[in-house]
Amino acid sequence: MNKSPDQAYWRSLEELGDKPEFRQFLEGEFPAEAAVPTDAVSRRRFLQLMGASVAMAGVVGCRWPEEKIVPFTSRPEGVDPGIPRGFATAMELAGEMRPLVVTSYDGRPIKVEGNADHPLSLGATDHFAQALVLELFDPDRSRHAVERHGGTEHKRSWNDFETYAAEHFGALRASGGTGLAFLVERSSSPTRAAMQDRVREVFPQAGWFEWEPLTRDNERSGAAQAFGHAVATNYRLGEAKVVACFDADLFQDHPTALRNAREYTAARRVEDGRMNRLYVVEAGYSITGGMADHRFPTASSAIGTTLLQLAAELTTKQGLDLPGDFGGMKEALGHAGHAPAWIPALARDLMHHRGASVIAVGSRQPDWVHTLAHLLNRALGNTGRTVVHVDLSDRNRPHHAAAMGFLADSVGRGSVNTLVVLGGNPVFDGPADTDMAGLFAKIEHTIHLSDFVNETSKACAWHLPRAHTLESWSDVRDAEGRYSVVQPLIRPLYEGRTPIELLALLLEGSPAAGHVLVRSTADGMLPVLDRETAWLKLLQSGVLTGSESVEVVPTLEGRGIVAGVRRGAAAHAPELGENNLEIIFQRDPSLYDGRFANNGWLQELPDFMTKLTWDNAAILGYATAEALGVKHGDLLTLDVGGRTLEMAAFVQPGQAPWTCVVQLGHGRTAAGRVGDGTGFDTYTLRTAATLDFSDGLKIGRTGRSYPLSTTQDHFAIDATGRNEREQRSHTLILEGTYEEYKQDPNFVEHRHHLPPLRSLWEERTYEGHAWGMTIDLNSCNGCNACVVACQAENNIPVVGKDQVGRGREMSWIRLDRYFQGEPDEAKVAQQPVACVHCEMAPCEQVCPVGATMHSAEGLNEMAYNRCVGTRYCANNCPYKVRRFNFFNFNKDIPDVQQMVYNPEVTIRARGVMEKCTYCVQRIESVKIEAKNEGREVRDGEIKTACQQTCPTDAIVFGDLNDETSKVAELTANERSYHMLAELNIKPRTSYLARLRNPNPELAESSDGHPAH
Amino acid sequence: MDHDKQGRDSFEFPKWANAIRLPVALMAAGAPVYILGMLYLLFDPGTTSVGYQPEQPVSYSHRLHAGELGIDCRYCHTGVEKGAAATLPPTQTCMNCHATIKTESDRLTLVRESYQTGLPIEWVRIHDLPDFVYFNHSAHVTRGIGCESCHGRIDQMEVVSQAEGLNMGWCLGCHRDPEAHLRPVDEATTMGWTPGLDQRELGAQLREARNINPPTDCSTCHR
Repeated sequence: MNKSPDQAYWRSLEELGDKPEFRQFLEGEFPAEAAVPTDAVSRRRFLQLMGASVAMAGVVGCRWPEEKIVPFTSRPEGVDPGIPRGFATAMELAGEMRPLVVTSYDGRPIKVEGNADHPLSLGATDHFAQALVLELFDPDRSRHAVERHGGTEHKRSWNDFETYAAEHFGALRASGGTGLAFLVERSSSPTRAAMQDRVREVFPQAGWFEWEPLTRDNERSGAAQAFGHAVATNYRLGEAKVVACFDADLFQDHPTALRNAREYTAARRVEDGRMNRLYVVEAGYSITGGMADHRFPTASSAIGTTLLQLAAELTTKQGLDLPGDFGGMKEALGHAGHAPAWIPALARDLMHHRGASVIAVGSRQPDWVHTLAHLLNRALGNTGRTVVHVDLSDRNRPHHAAAMGFLADSVGRGSVNTLVVLGGNPVFDGPADTDMAGLFAKIEHTIHLSDFVNETSKACAWHLPRAHTLESWSDVRDAEGRYSVVQPLIRPLYEGRTPIELLALLLEGSPAAGHVLVRSTADGMLPVLDRETAWLKLLQSGVLTGSESVEVVPTLEGRGIVAGVRRGAAAHAPELGENNLEIIFQRDPSLYDGRFANNGWLQELPDFMTKLTWDNAAILGYATAEALGVKHGDLLTLDVGGRTLEMAAFVQPGQAPWTCVVQLGHGRTAAGRVGDGTGFDTYTLRTAATLDFSDGLKIGRTGRSYPLSTTQDHFAIDATGRNEREQRSHTLILEGTYEEYKQDPNFVEHRHHLPPLRSLWEERTYEGHAWGMTIDLNSCNGCNACVVACQAENNIPVVGKDQVGRGREMSWIRLDRYFQGEPDEAKVAQQPVACVHCEMAPCEQVCPVGATMHSAEGLNEMAYNRCVGTRYCANNCPYKVRRFNFFNFNKDIPDVQQMVYNPEVTIRARGVMEKCTYCVQRIESVKIEAKNEGREVRDGEIKTACQQTCPTDAIVFGDLNDETSKVAELTANERSYHMLAELNIKPRTSYLARLRNPNPELAESSDGHPAH
Repeated sequence: MDHDKQGRDSFEFPKWANAIRLPVALMAAGAPVYILGMLYLLFDPGTTSVGYQPEQPVSYSHRLHAGELGIDCRYCHTGVEKGAAATLPPTQTCMNCHATIKTESDRLTLVRESYQTGLPIEWVRIHDLPDFVYFNHSAHVTRGIGCESCHGRIDQMEVVSQAEGLNMGWCLGCHRDPEAHLRPVDEATTMGWTPGLDQRELGAQLREARNINPPTDCSTCHR
């Protein structure tokens, strides 16, 4: 086997460098002994996170506490206590909807899944949706209205507000809304759009401004430039053979991301005879970048030029005809300059796959890059096939940045005296060059509807509690126009109301119920005959069939395109260097724009690439950091255009030189007990003109360092030495090229030569079910949805930054992310690892109390009540998938937060070991149901939580003894392998090797595994 | 002390040990009593709550309703064939009859109040398994385990009390030897049912016919 350094897999630069700190970290199985943090600050933080505010009711007696059974007085039809039910609903994130089915347990929503009936979900969700239930039961949510006078705040009720509103808005209605302005979140709700129309009628003088810190506005103006009006651009990746992403994260940051991920992976399932190729040009790693067959780290500001070079290559050298009249385009393309070597190869690949390729540009890129992509997609014949357009419902609204500018101007002129802010947090996430707090202070009447008393609430005269999505009646349209209703799973826990209810109150002077408002919108779309049935059907399925928009093929506006591209191309990319770095603003992969900062599941979720928890950091490439003399964890001074911020450095492989990626959303000051004070507030560097990226960044060192809790080196398999690890890394994660696979489909078998296998003890046979799992590494993109799904399903606690730093995170699934190759061009491979349920499990042999046992169906099970916490099992586990409760992480959780627990899973106490159970509660529940009905368990009927939420169908669970089952078929697949197979412990989880499909023309510069 | 250490090789108890001679002797003497006491507690039915008979807010008589009137268990405990919980009936179920029968009875004051106000009656749980145990009624009743096997002769109880220990050994006893308890499924709710032939023979037949293999894995009950 070849052992060149280029081939070895490594998990972090520390590991690659084999620094003494890393070796020290590896010494102990669990790196530090159990001790409550001693310094005052982290101890206080620890207790705070444990929610020390509420103690258990002290019932002490000889018998356990007397329990009450409290039945309904009149039980609604169809309700059976203890039997969970699912309800279709949806959530909205910055106007982008996610179709959901939420499991309600005795009226308590405990688990979110994707809506399998909805074409944009097909059962999958992302991690934001998975974490929604924790947000619902967040004890820090706003519980009542607050009125602020000067420096004092007063507790108020909705009645108080209604009294105030009757007078104040009564006068405004009479004056036609003079001095009134609305600052709202983006929403795709048709009911809210109708209310907006009504605002125009009732308050003709009022202003309506929409703000989102993370927008796709560049995409809109790019489309507007190309077609004369803004349209949405969606993709049919299932039809595409070649996908070229220019700063586009299609699998995570796109309104149809879940479907994109699923279609893309389905289109490279070699078993179905399909394979595609993905090129990604981007600065810092995205989820999509991690999946790329070829990835070219390129500064954000240079990506437009790169696309221009591609256009020049396509049109001038490879004979691509541009449709219609594009005089002057040649001149624009002349600006392209000298193209890197890979451009002609990509161009040829695109030319060979006309009509079956995609050029996608990300929302960060300026409008002209989008315009150029539209032109190229049309010329390549992709439009209407792999690239489709639908009309936008809000296509005429101004850009968010422009709207914020208009609002600031109006306030500056003194023409706003009443501002109604519906949701959002503009004081925190508004542009840094607009003094948002100062702006708010200038307005006499400010009203903020929000589910938390956040930074904006604190700058407003009135704060009103908002109903959570899971408490709300609302409606949404998806990226293709499909209509869905948001129905509540629970009555508002506090006094929350929805934005449409507040608007109705302000418009009509009297409160209106949300469901009445939604119903009147829906009635307009439902058939007149039998409307009630249609409504119930809509509620039940969660999507109105036939409501999707018609795909449009807009005509190209030649003149606009040429002008736009020429203008963009003429502004050459800046020369980046040591004194002129590029800062790139990204959404936080876990906190989105900062709104999920108080969600412990998301805070503790390791970033898909940096594996960083509880913080954000200034992410720099390896060579850039070397040149600047910056080490991982150094506290830096970022200076861009005179705005400065101290921020910790994170040195990350695979990043374009002279770029610095910063994630937005950390550094909150009014998020709540979990989210306050984590990370760094990078919004302070982000102006209206530099929402996406900017050059002119200077980085200085402070000489201090900052502790970052990253899990990338935790639970490292094989601490025995560098050589050993290098040898073994290939047996842990197996990859090959498509070419290799075509020549020898059994290449996996030949890659890993096993010694003669002997079992240390007697092997068992399994009759009946034999549960097993396969994880397809060719599909998994490391999106993290499974990690949060597992946390929600299995009551996994949050432990806090300090504990994560000590290697004590509790997550049952860890996503091992390996790099390969030269640091700055490193390739990435993702591998989810949970308990693999070995048939000859080493952990079972060393448990002195029989707490971990083997079931007749092959599950490696934990009897928590027997566990005495010796941790021998974790010590003996070669996969390092066991997690130990060093503290009573679940004790003293506030009452309301306890409502999130899944009642089907035991809450573990201090001193107990735990790990993946293959969702044994789901297995048992299906088995009992099948037996009750007198039938066998059907294949695919049992879905583990991770499998259910997986956007790429990478995880398959089932019965290995059933030869017809999907999991048996995949386990027998030639790509299938067992991790650490040489130990002969017979894991039940097998992995399917990843296949990369490099362009043969480029194979030398970014090789896969040379055949041995 | 120094002198002692230097002077002798053999170990001697230090002087202060004299002071604890009496407590040590008492502990040694008390040990058998302690052990016997713990054994008594271990085997005392009170430890496993057998006979636990709390007072309920409404003095509902199972002897009258299930015994004399012969109302089937499932009339009230509707969940028993569907889910984990047998479920207690909503007040509405009581009022199905008591809207016309015994409408003035003092014993029903709380029921009528609950029905009118919508506030539920808070019953006291008798059969209380630990929170780490997941028992499913439907899995047992639909296989032909009678209510009586675990709950005893409810039809003879004026006030319900716990009939069996419900400890793990007791559960496993039946899971390892289901023949002793299986009955035809439609007799599951019958109280005082007797097999026409030998129970073991019938049990074996039923087990064979219905493919009943109760698991004894940890995860059967612990998740």
